[in-house]
Amino acid sequence: MTRVLRVQLLRFGLPGALLILLVGTVALFLDRGLWSGGWMELAMEQRDHLMLLCPLALAIGGWLARREHRATVTELFAGTPRPQHQRVLLTLTAVGLPIALAYPAILAVSAPWIMATAEYLPSAAYGVVAVGVLAVIASAWTGLAVGRLVPSPATAPGLAVAGFVAVLAGPMAFREEWQSVLASPAWAMSPWNEFQTVPAAVSAAQAILALTVIVAAAVVLSARRWQTRSVAAAPIALGLVAAIAVMPHDYDRVTIDPVAQELVCTDDAPRVCVGRAHSGLLTEITPKAREALALLAKLPGAPTSAQEDTDNYLDESDIKPPPDGVVEFRMEVGPDGRLADAGHLVTRMLEGGGTSFANCTEFYEIPVARAAGSWLSGRAPVNDPEEAGVTFDDGTPYTVLPETTALWEKLRALPEAEALAKVAAVRKAGLECTDMTGLLG
Amino acid sequence: MRYLGLHLRARRIPAALAAAASGTLVLWTVVAVFSEVPDADISLVTLLVLLLAAVVAPTLGGHDDALDRTSALRWLPRRAAHLLVALVIILALVLVTLLTGARFGPAALVLRDAAGLLGLTALGAVALGTARSWFLPLAWTLPVVMTPFAGASVPLQALTWQTQPHDNRTAAVVATVIAVAGLVAYGVRGSALRDIRSAA
Amino acid sequence: MRTISAAETAPATYAWSVHAEQLKVKAGRHLAVDGLDLRMQNGVHGLLGPNGAGKTTLMRALATVLRPAGGKLTILGQDVGGRGNLRQARRGLGYLPQEFGFYPRFTVREFVEYMAWLKEMPKHTIPGAAQRAIERVGLTTRADARMKTLSGGMLRRAGIAQAIVNNPLVLLLDEPTVGLDPEQRLDFRELLRDLAVDSCVLVSTHLVEDVVAACTDVLMVNEGRLVFQGDANTLIDHGGPNDAGDSPAERGYSALLRRARNGGVA
Repeated sequence: MTRVLRVQLLRFGLPGALLILLVGTVALFLDRGLWSGGWMELAMEQRDHLMLLCPLALAIGGWLARREHRATVTELFAGTPRPQHQRVLLTLTAVGLPIALAYPAILAVSAPWIMATAEYLPSAAYGVVAVGVLAVIASAWTGLAVGRLVPSPATAPGLAVAGFVAVLAGPMAFREEWQSVLASPAWAMSPWNEFQTVPAAVSAAQAILALTVIVAAAVVLSARRWQTRSVAAAPIALGLVAAIAVMPHDYDRVTIDPVAQELVCTDDAPRVCVGRAHSGLLTEITPKAREALALLAKLPGAPTSAQEDTDNYLDESDIKPPPDGVVEFRMEVGPDGRLADAGHLVTRMLEGGGTSFANCTEFYEIPVARAAGSWLSGRAPVNDPEEAGVTFDDGTPYTVLPETTALWEKLRALPEAEALAKVAAVRKAGLECTDMTGLLG
Repeated sequence: MRYLGLHLRARRIPAALAAAASGTLVLWTVVAVFSEVPDADISLVTLLVLLLAAVVAPTLGGHDDALDRTSALRWLPRRAAHLLVALVIILALVLVTLLTGARFGPAALVLRDAAGLLGLTALGAVALGTARSWFLPLAWTLPVVMTPFAGASVPLQALTWQTQPHDNRTAAVVATVIAVAGLVAYGVRGSALRDIRSAA
Repeated sequence: MRTISAAETAPATYAWSVHAEQLKVKAGRHLAVDGLDLRMQNGVHGLLGPNGAGKTTLMRALATVLRPAGGKLTILGQDVGGRGNLRQARRGLGYLPQEFGFYPRFTVREFVEYMAWLKEMPKHTIPGAAQRAIERVGLTTRADARMKTLSGGMLRRAGIAQAIVNNPLVLLLDEPTVGLDPEQRLDFRELLRDLAVDSCVLVSTHLVEDVVAACTDVLMVNEGRLVFQGDANTLIDHGGPNDAGDSPAERGYSALLRRARNGGVA
């Protein structure tokens, strides 16, 4: 690196880049529950934060341009032999490079949080990050360009607010999801679940658009006359056409990655499987799942293996019942990257004698299923921690605990064989999806 | 009148007025064209007020604040008047939209946010100098607009006062405290002196 | 007598470092330099003239910041108003504008090195050249201080350092002595004499005494035209006992100016 570039990096680019690093890291830390599920979630959540980072980069660019204007060095530089575009390129590098590095640095600082539990790293995640890097460079350079054209003290804050409105409200102006995604790099990036992905074509289209903004800003900055500056419209138009061509027009904001859904299993029996996105949690889940399998074993036709339900419930065609002899469970990842409500996983797996509401929404009776589960575990029913905060329409907290407890008490009072027969009937109803009402009555 | 005119020009008021009017027009157009309901979303109302407060920011100091200070004028009433007139202008610009098909309101919300954000800008000027006075309102408001809070926790309501409903008492109290603090601090002390060369 | 340097004896392809013929330069819409003829070679040239005479506009044109509106301007053999190699000419130029702009957060050394880079000096020579330039203006102890911490006089010297960093063949200094204390001005005169050994130095100033003390050649402009060029003694000779001024040189200046305003040319 040349001495001249080093000085420019230090004096121009570094302070802004450190600010972006700080803001990005704090924002991710405050949101850690949203991305603790894996690398893809982390990459997407950071893109969601572009809502803040892009306006910030714009303001930094505008601020630096204003500073250059205040330094009144134009007179001095005008008499030097080095061509203007080389000087501009130096400034652009000095501002763009540290900011471009700050974006992945935010990831590097945040990564240790889930380093121990996140394993699955799809290549699409790199695309998501690359678009983020290009977006912050594009913002900073656009800020420089606008600040150069309008060197007013209000330019930097104006740019920040305008950029924020553009990122926030811009996508809402479009009806189609694929159009909104092109309008803002932060749109649709709040992760829905750990199996989600962003198709490579979408990232490619967004990257093309960001690149054209980068080129246009560079053109505006190196040009001396308005005629030359207007050339900047050409890459924008070209990039827009290319991006629209590359963008899949049937894009849905929740696109599921089938590889992330694939099951990863233990080698030894009884087999326990989780989706590939959760493979890092398999060792934590296995003993709990086997504990549940052992408790279920007293039922006739008891399941012999357990697997995570990785179906996407937003897409009905994706909802499939588990194979015979397999008990399914759903799991959430907590803000620390480990299994959320770890103490409750066994309870959930025992519900309905190892059946699930998801495969029989019509007839499944939750109090009946939970009472059956409680009888199997021998522990009194409790509220599912996931339901905390859920309320009935009249505002009272949602709970099925009283009914469940009443049914469990009845079961407990019965002789062992009779109770077992009733619980087996509940399991049968859950599997065949027939009415559960009164089975424990 | 002539000296008032000169003072206004020294404070770059004409440029600020033009910027404020055009900013309002642009945001109004966005809502008028793209919104399906006549009332602008609360986040856009807050952002418009924030933009106008940021436009006021550079007018809080002259070209050379040190030179201003050496004059024998009594600055306190002038500075206080400056903020109050700025508040009136912001209110006028925003509330005029209530008569149109794209409304930025309600008035109570605009008044609360305008007073609070102007106070924050004034506090920024006192602490950081005129050129950096917009750091504080932007750094507080943009993250709040990004993550609105609708719960019952009073501390969190206070933290997100800018985007609370117009009848939220906590938010009104916080905005009033900031507005008064900004008015008093700026009225008494004025913008912090910074080396003109290093200010941007 | 001064020694003749190698640069001076080396065959130059041009007769004059700076050569202007009927030069016209606009400052905004106003023709601030209007039909000026000028020839300069190595040495210290002092540029005198009342405010508004076109000194700064002339300086800016010679620094290639402004393009001539008419006439011919040749710098270091390059026709900078027309088809000459502007870049080639600029490599041999040093310029200190009247209002010297700088990056306040840069240290003196960083700024001088950056200017050297802009002047397209070979990379490996930049650190050494910057150090030498800073030494020559006597800022060695403040070389690594930020520009914003410098006093007015130090800033002026930093400005001179950036102007001389590329060992320019044509050095243009617009009011370089502003802010210098008397002792620094003496040092500065010494520096000028030293620089003039192998370059053409043009110093614009209002201080007639500086010109007499340090310049081998005196230029005077009024209303965009050259009204006098000659050595300091000739300037003094023009002054009579009735002319305004506290020294012979000032009386000479007043006499020349009066005559120029009455329509005559020296």
